[in-house]
Amino acid sequence: MDELIRGILKGDRRSVSRAISIVENEQVSYNAKKIVKEIFQYTGRAHIVGITGPPGIGKSTMIGNLSAMLSEKGRNVSVVAIDASSPFSGGSLLGNRIRMQESLTRHGVFMRSLANRGLKGGLSRSIWDTVKILDASGSDIIIVETVGAGQADLDVVNLADTVIMVLGPGLGDEIQAIKAGIMEIGTLFVINKMDLPGAFIAQKDIEETLAMSLKKDWNPPVVGVNSLTREGYEELIKEIDRHGEYAKGNSDLTFRKFRTELEITIDEELRSRFHQEIRSFLADSEKIKALMEKKTDPYSAAENLINNIA
Amino acid sequence: MEAGKNRSLFNGKPIKVLLAKPGIDGHDRGILVLAKAFRDAGMEVIYVGLLPTPEEVVDTAVNEDVDVIALSLLNGAHMTVFRKVADLLKNRKINDIAVVGGGTIPDTDKPKLEAIGISGNYGPGTPISTIVDHITQRAAEMRKLKAMEE
Repeated sequence: MDELIRGILKGDRRSVSRAISIVENEQVSYNAKKIVKEIFQYTGRAHIVGITGPPGIGKSTMIGNLSAMLSEKGRNVSVVAIDASSPFSGGSLLGNRIRMQESLTRHGVFMRSLANRGLKGGLSRSIWDTVKILDASGSDIIIVETVGAGQADLDVVNLADTVIMVLGPGLGDEIQAIKAGIMEIGTLFVINKMDLPGAFIAQKDIEETLAMSLKKDWNPPVVGVNSLTREGYEELIKEIDRHGEYAKGNSDLTFRKFRTELEITIDEELRSRFHQEIRSFLADSEKIKALMEKKTDPYSAAENLINNIA
Repeated sequence: MEAGKNRSLFNGKPIKVLLAKPGIDGHDRGILVLAKAFRDAGMEVIYVGLLPTPEEVVDTAVNEDVDVIALSLLNGAHMTVFRKVADLLKNRKINDIAVVGGGTIPDTDKPKLEAIGISGNYGPGTPISTIVDHITQRAAEMRKLKAMEE
């Protein structure tokens, strides 16, 4: 275990990737917690960039381009991409890598695919710990790709310093753009596929919508890019860096992120403490039948169970 | 498995498989069918696409920390390319990732592949359940090795 932690801090790929498996597969286990506890003091250095947007809009391709260009600028880039798990089998086809494989290989970028394993909101539960491991391993910038997002998959706002919302032509008019939810969390908007008709109008729609709610300190810029030719990418990188600087000095953001993570962790810890008892209770069919016969309502039954454990 | 009836859903540690066709071979129907079959068997599947080099396959396997690398070739280059993957793993002292083969592999080559640790080597017409069972079994062996390291 100590060797594994030393490996992470040295940036050794095998240690990093094994540690991610441990936090992913054995959440709230002794080993998983030990890793995070030991490396925590070495975290907080990396710029965490979340990339979200609807399925098929070009998030993975964009990450391929970004990771190549950032590597060329001498940055140490890591990528984590999350894909959906099947609600039926629990299995998953993690297909993000295929869109970025060439850039990853050429520049030796560390990239890990995670399945969301049933977590809603666009992330996976282990992503917070995964990002910490990559941070402690010496990454300058960690790019996190969410599951293809709908209007209410917003969790990335509590993980990333910078949230890039990727949109494209043909997604709807300005009414769509003023709806609550996902349109509010972007700190940077990208219109991909600028070569397609309608892209320019989409960009204007978003710009106008954002202009309606001008803020004092940070107004999300809208950048148009073409991922085939990498047009617009230099500007995108400039904006990512600019927001990174801004986020670093923003204590509200840091505080909100820490509090959210604390909330999730307390939740997990509570659940894992009670897990064993709840499982064995649910496995006891006699007890459950007795409750049914007595017509006990589920609230009273649950209250009794928890009171007995605690 | 019947839809929605998997009781172990999201509780376990799904098997992680890397599917790859290293070498110059574009026949990807088989590997895509397997990708979906593995997904339906509750595994987490990573497919690296066409034409990765053996180095890319091994790098990806390490980054993704998979249990099994499943290689498919139908162009007859398996003795060269599968061996290269096995050698790269050996050079990097990795013994907790299993290599499983498949494709058009003549019976005479199978023992040679087995000898360098590449098991399975199933040909066309093999029932999918046979392959899923084999992957499950190899993954279980690897998980045991990994648990010992921790």
